[in-house]
Amino acid sequence: MDTLVLWLLVLVFAGAFVAQVAARVRLIAIAPNTFEITHPATRVARVLVEVFGQRTTIRERPIAGVAHAFVFWGFIAFAPYTASEFLAGLGIVDVTDSGWFAAYRILLTPCAMAVLLGILFLLVRRTIIRPAGLGTNVSIESVVIALFITTLMATFLLTWWIDESTTAGRINWWVHVSVILGFLALIPGSKHLHLVFSPITWFLKSPTLGNLPNLDFEKEEVGLETVKDLGSKAVLDAFTCVECGRCQVNCPAWGAGKTLNPKTIILQTEEALLAGTRDRALVDLYSAQALWQCTTCGACENQCPVGVEHLPILIGARRGAVSNGHAPDYLGAMYNNLERRSNIWGLSYGEREKFVETAGLETFDPAKHDVLIWLGCAGAFDADYQKSMRSLFEILRAREVRFGVLSKERCTGDAARRTGNEYVYQELATANIETLTAAGPKTIVTSCPHCVKTIGDDYRTFGYRVEIVHSSVYIAGMLNELQPDETAPASTVTYHDPCYLGRYGGTVDEPRALLARMNAQVNDPVRSRDNPSCCGAGGGLLFADKEEEPGTRISDMRLTELQKTGASTVVTACPFCSIMLKGAQASRQADVHVVDLMTFVNGRVRKL
Amino acid sequence: MILVVAEQRGGTLNRASWEALACAQQMGGEVSVLVVGAGVDAVARELSAADVRDVVVVNHTALADYTADGYTAAVTDVLSRITPDVVLFPHTYQARDFAPKVAARLNRVAITDVVAVKRDGDRVVFVRPVFQGKLLADVVSEGDAPCIVTVQAGAFQAAAVRRGASAAPIRQLDVQIDEAAIRQKPEPPFQESRQAVDLTQAERIVSVGRGIKEQANIAIAQQLADAMHAELAASRPICDAGWLPMDRQVGSSGQTVAPKLYVALGISGAIQHLVGMKGSQTIVAINNDRDAPIFEVADYGIVEDLFEMVPALTAALKS
Ligand SMILES: Cc1cc2nc3c(=O)[nH]c(=O)nc-3n(C[C@H](O)[C@H](O)[C@H](O)COP(=O)(O)OP(=O)(O)OC[C@H]3O[C@@H](n4cnc5c(N)ncnc54)[C@H](O)[C@@H]3O)c2cc1C
Ligand code: SF4
Ligand code: SF4
Repeated sequence: MDTLVLWLLVLVFAGAFVAQVAARVRLIAIAPNTFEITHPATRVARVLVEVFGQRTTIRERPIAGVAHAFVFWGFIAFAPYTASEFLAGLGIVDVTDSGWFAAYRILLTPCAMAVLLGILFLLVRRTIIRPAGLGTNVSIESVVIALFITTLMATFLLTWWIDESTTAGRINWWVHVSVILGFLALIPGSKHLHLVFSPITWFLKSPTLGNLPNLDFEKEEVGLETVKDLGSKAVLDAFTCVECGRCQVNCPAWGAGKTLNPKTIILQTEEALLAGTRDRALVDLYSAQALWQCTTCGACENQCPVGVEHLPILIGARRGAVSNGHAPDYLGAMYNNLERRSNIWGLSYGEREKFVETAGLETFDPAKHDVLIWLGCAGAFDADYQKSMRSLFEILRAREVRFGVLSKERCTGDAARRTGNEYVYQELATANIETLTAAGPKTIVTSCPHCVKTIGDDYRTFGYRVEIVHSSVYIAGMLNELQPDETAPASTVTYHDPCYLGRYGGTVDEPRALLARMNAQVNDPVRSRDNPSCCGAGGGLLFADKEEEPGTRISDMRLTELQKTGASTVVTACPFCSIMLKGAQASRQADVHVVDLMTFVNGRVRKL
Repeated sequence: MILVVAEQRGGTLNRASWEALACAQQMGGEVSVLVVGAGVDAVARELSAADVRDVVVVNHTALADYTADGYTAAVTDVLSRITPDVVLFPHTYQARDFAPKVAARLNRVAITDVVAVKRDGDRVVFVRPVFQGKLLADVVSEGDAPCIVTVQAGAFQAAAVRRGASAAPIRQLDVQIDEAAIRQKPEPPFQESRQAVDLTQAERIVSVGRGIKEQANIAIAQQLADAMHAELAASRPICDAGWLPMDRQVGSSGQTVAPKLYVALGISGAIQHLVGMKGSQTIVAINNDRDAPIFEVADYGIVEDLFEMVPALTAALKS
């Protein structure tokens, strides 16, 4: 009788599970295919570390993360147990009387206690502590699931005291089994679908941060306009999200009180997909305001524990908007600058030539020079940043590094690409690749992390491969040749990791090594290394007409964090971070000095 | 005879009309002024103060709001009855819109954006910038009269207009306008910029940066601005601090200006500021830091303490 009832229940509940999952899988299947499986080894390794090792889950929130890891590992430990119980209950095969199983049960007991501990902590956190990232309403569903898990563990532990053959034992067994079945039916409709999807999502997540497909204009691709344009990975992402809010709390836009919340973007996507509003314009779904507030800092994507990629969605939707002429005015002006003058400021090329001449730069010749210096829009045109460039040249010259620059260099197109103006980006990229190919450098050195990303990663997709390194990496390579000037006063500094250097590029040690070499004591701010908080410049926001609207300035927020280290000097290593932080410093008349890394090093290195 | 087409909007004369008038007077010979609109007699009276032969007024209900078709029809109709040698327009947005149409309708030569007029024997030579102002070209019309010319704002001094001993006669002229042929339907005008102060129109600007140190010191800059008949502007930190209103901010997140003279006091020259003022004709920077980036764009750089330099300049200008 019990067997028959269980069969019925399993069929009903497993059927409910399959039907709900199938509905979502169908939505993934009909979406334009964006699944990629390049670098399979990297992907598999990442699944192991991230899913089984719970790396991101723990790194961002150690206590809650470990609690979650207990529950997750407990689940894995329990899988054979649950399977055995069901197989026995369904009358297929019974191994529960074997000596092996008895030993296994003993081993499971501490696991069950760990899961209990973990889940009770998470329950308390969700209902009583309630961190901001989890949203304002307590999710009933999560509470139910937590109680389910608690019940599962409790009923397991009770088996030590209650004999299974007694009535109490049978009830205990049935409670255990029903909870599992209930769980099964609840999973697909809830955030717990990540149990099924997250290993796949992690496997399919791009190995490089901020990886975007190039639009093919021949095929009349224009980016994402409506819900139905969202690619299969984006759809999978929407169903995998666990609503943990890690992306939200790490998002500089959300932190500064803007409209954008990356978690909301993913939830809105999920909602629209399930509601079947496939023709809904993405600009309306996400709101145009939110769409243009993203600095593309990548914090959301990098902190997501289940492999969700926000940037392809946000930038994809920007592309759709730009293609329909819906970019904000300030971007229109910047695009004009790029189209007419090939630089973001719209300055005439004479200005760059003037700098090249006064700085005594030679035109790159592979026979004569070791490296090509890529100036970038800031290095070529911003008189303030040119001080940092001159410092770099001085350091290189003193160490007899032979370098040259291109006679004509255009903006890499970073700002166009991240704001969705793929057409302008590709025009610039094609022209630059042509110039670079003709010049033939083996190594490019630049002080702009955005240029490193764009030339190093994005140009690669057009088949252009070159070694491009940030100046901090190149100079740190000569660490032994740099002697500090011992007469320089001791200095305590804080270092602001630029997003495109620390997070995108993983370059976090070299700048610190240079600072330490120059006898500077480095106090790291909150949010540093590969999870810095953004200065607010990326994604075209350097050009925003009102940095403070809505909410506050992102740059101001970051400067405050940096000031809290107590250091009187803020060092950074990106021209855009430099503009933003200096701007924040000036506006607040803050008692702190912002300086670029190369200027700092050159000011303290012993002159040869 | 030279005909100057004055520009008015809603009964208010555009200042640039006086500049075109000054140009006409400088060219010599008889000058006549035309004003087109609906109910623009007051504007005509204002113009009649100038030393001109007469002021021709065209009033028509179809001309109440500017439309390219309506104004072209009116002016071409006038030109079929008065036959000047040259027709001068101020180089405003409006003239840019319809002066070429008038020229094309009459099949006459149009010379735009003129900054100076010279004589070469009995030929009139118009000077206009080319290649974004890098070169100046001398241009002579070889077509039939009248030649249609637009005069760049700021090239001639409105104050230089000669006044007549008595008011010039005002002549009403009736024109035929087929209202159905006007294809444009003007919407009510809207203010493009929310700014109360329109720095883009200023000829001279004195701009203050953090070098000014305190709000109270703004007065020093204000005095210099007054002495120079200049507008006061600022870098972002000054406006952020509320020392000057937001609408006086110059730069990427403020206004973009291109005055004839831009005086930067204690401004470092951050790129976000530079992109907003780099188009100025002459840039003077006063900064006590020799390495300040502002000196990269300045035509005249003064490495000095602004608290000494500025009052001295003001005093010199006043005397
Ligand atoms: C997104 C964004 C948008 C921005 N938009 C704008 C914008 O639209 N407009 C704008 O202006 N800025 C803008 N900024 C800010 C800009 O980057 C600079 O921070 C700002 O322009 C600096 O203002 P400043 O030159 O007045 O101050 P500082 O850079 O502090 O320069 C003060 C200067 O005064 C000099 N000085 C000090 N004392 C004296 C003295 N006694 N005599 C003479 N000189 C003296 C100093 O040598 C120094 O060069 C923006 C920044 C960001 C991040
Ligand atoms: S990339 Fe940065 S700014 Fe954009 S949504 Fe993610 S966290 Fe927010
Ligand atoms: S997208 Fe990722 S980080 Fe953001 S709420 Fe969902 S699971 Fe958490």
